[in-house]
Formats: sequence, C-alpha cells, structure tokens
Amino acid sequence: MHELSLAEEVIKIAGYEAGKNDAVRVSEITIEAGIFCGVEIDAFRSALEMLTEGTMMDKTAINIQRVNGRGFCSECDKEFEMNNRIDTCPVCGSFPSEIRRGHEFRVVSIVVERNDDKD
Amino acid sequence: MCETCGCGNTGKEKTGIPGKKNKQDHDHDHSYTHEHDSYGPHTHYYDDKKGKEGSHDHSGKQVINLKVDVLARNNAIAAMNRRFFESRKVLCINMVSSPGSGKTTILEKSIGRLKSSKKVYVIEGDQQTRLDADRIEKAGAQAIQINTGSGCHLDAQMVESAVKKLDPKANSILFIENVGNLVCPSRYDLGEFRRVVIISVTEGSDKPLKYPNMFETSHLCLINKSDLLPWVDFKMDEFVTNAKNINPRLELITVSAKTGEGIEKWEKWISEAAIQTNT
Repeated sequence: MHELSLAEEVIKIAGYEAGKNDAVRVSEITIEAGIFCGVEIDAFRSALEMLTEGTMMDKTAINIQRVNGRGFCSECDKEFEMNNRIDTCPVCGSFPSEIRRGHEFRVVSIVVERNDDKD
Repeated sequence: MCETCGCGNTGKEKTGIPGKKNKQDHDHDHSYTHEHDSYGPHTHYYDDKKGKEGSHDHSGKQVINLKVDVLARNNAIAAMNRRFFESRKVLCINMVSSPGSGKTTILEKSIGRLKSSKKVYVIEGDQQTRLDADRIEKAGAQAIQINTGSGCHLDAQMVESAVKKLDPKANSILFIENVGNLVCPSRYDLGEFRRVVIISVTEGSDKPLKYPNMFETSHLCLINKSDLLPWVDFKMDEFVTNAKNINPRLELITVSAKTGEGIEKWEKWISEAAIQTNT
C-alpha cells in the first residue's frame, strides 16, 4: 500500500504550491501515471480522497493521465510503443534494453482558488 | 556549494550525518532538486521555468504547472544520504525481496565473514518486532530496527534518521534490509549504491515477469536456498532468462545461506562494489 504514502506526497506538493500562491483551495490535481509506474490508481484515488477530507483539497478533482510505455531496442537502435512490460521489439523480437517511458508518476498541474478572488 | 547535498547554497553547514546538527543552519529547500542518480529513466521532473508559468482565468482559479515527480522529496533526501555515504566512504547496499526469501540469514552469514575486515552496520526494516535486529547483532554487526507499522517499505527519510543514530565509521558497509515486499520498495530510492534483490528457489521462475520493477531497478539478484533445488520445481534457466529479459544488466549469483554455497562469490561481489564506489 505505498499508494497512501504517494497520496501524502501529492498533498505536500499541492499544499506547498497552494501556500506559495495564497490559495484557499486546491480544486483540481492532474497526475501523469505511466503504465509501469506500479501504482494502483483506484487505491491511490481512495487514499487521496480519504486524506483530503475536510481540508482545502476536499473533493478536489483528480485527473489521471495514463502514459504508454516506450522501450528502446539496442539491436535495431529504435524505440517502440509498449502496452505491456513483456512487449518485445516489433522488428526483431528482443526485449527492450531500456524502458524510456512508462515509469512516470508526476503531478502535472494543480488548479487553485486564490484568496483575493474569493472576496 | 552545500557540502551536505551538493546544491548551490553556500551555507555554513559542515559535512556530516545528513541533517545532523545541520538542521538549523541548513534550511534551504531541497524538495525539488535534480537527481541524476535515481532509478529508472532520467527525467527532469521539475522545470523551474515551467513551474512559474500558469494561467489565471479571472474566475478565481489559477492553474499551476508543476511536472514534479511525486517522489521528488524522497529522491532529494536519498541524494543527500548518498552524498553522505560517498563522503564517509560507506558502502550502502539495499536488500529487497518477498518475505521469507532468506535476507536475514544471508546477512548473518555475510556479517560473520565480513566483520574481520570491515565494520558492518544493518538497518532492519520490518512492520513489527526487533527480532531481526537481535539476530543481526548476535552475528556481530551493529543494527538498528525500524518498525514501519502498517508501512510496506522504507523511505529515504527513515534511512536518514537511522543513519544519524548509527553514525557509521569510515570504510564500513551498511546493509539496509528492506521490508519483505516485492512491490513497494522498488519505487523508493534510499540513497544506496547498490540494490540487491533476493529470491529463493521455492518461488516461481516467473517472478521477474510478474514483479518487473524490482528486478529492473536492482544491480544483483541472489538466488537463495539452492540446497533445496533437488526437491522443488524451480526452473533455473527459465528464471535467468526472465530476469535478463527484464533487466539485461542484472548480475545473478546462486547461493545457499544454509550450506554456504555461493557466499564466497557474493562476498567478492561486495568487495568489487566497494572498489567501484570508492568506499
């Protein structure tokens, strides 16, 4: 259940940015999640919802952008799209020598509501 | 340059245990530093220019673009730990596996052999009890137990505070025995120089395909309990192929913590790692 710790980190990042911008509320959080990031998205959502209850992030919209995998085949010197971790190079059938995309788990952006606009 | 973390701050802090006595005069923010040593593909997860952009739509809402790795804070602390290990010349090895693969027994064996030449320290991660730390201390290493409670992994901050207490001597070895779990610990860089994944032959040979992240981020795989090979269906060739397919750079050593088979090779691997990392 590292989803709980990851949700805590997202809250810290969003809270820090909200504070810096004098925001009173975080109404949206957009997360980029590669298909190999190893995060159970439903569990992550539930953890985030649970932890933000009654805070400035309560009922924040959680947008998840899934990112496909991209492997690099050193035999063919080419990148290829991956939908599964065991996908092989479509040209020569080798396993990728490197995964170049798909591990991401990032906060892309947040939407905050500012204090001055509230008044 | 900041001697603790290598950032550009010219603070008056001294080299030392990460965070130890530095806290008060070392208060600049390391949250979003740029980590070149982290696992996985290299990404610039915090773009300062982008971070400052953002749109303000006059409906009271403002979009703040971040593109920041969720684990940026962990990775920054891990980087500080690593710099400390570098400066103190401590070979830090993170041991990961499913529960019951024999991590502690391998460590007991290793400590017995290593302690004559180097001081050995162990950070023990378990959800409950200090049973493992007691075993390690009996074997002759200084141990510190971290109980994660319901937590399923160790993170860089837990290691930072454990290292503060251990205060390892120069030219020593620090093993981190992570919580038995083949999933969560793979995401957390602790500041180690080497990650070792342990599996036992009582597990399936398809483990690397089912839990790729752990094999992908490890430098070495110890295949333990080789003494049981005659009695189990473990397919060694298949396992090695699967592991290499997931991580072509992964090294593999077959060991038996019980009979001592392969332990010499593992010990040699540790000495080579010490040379490679200048510890």
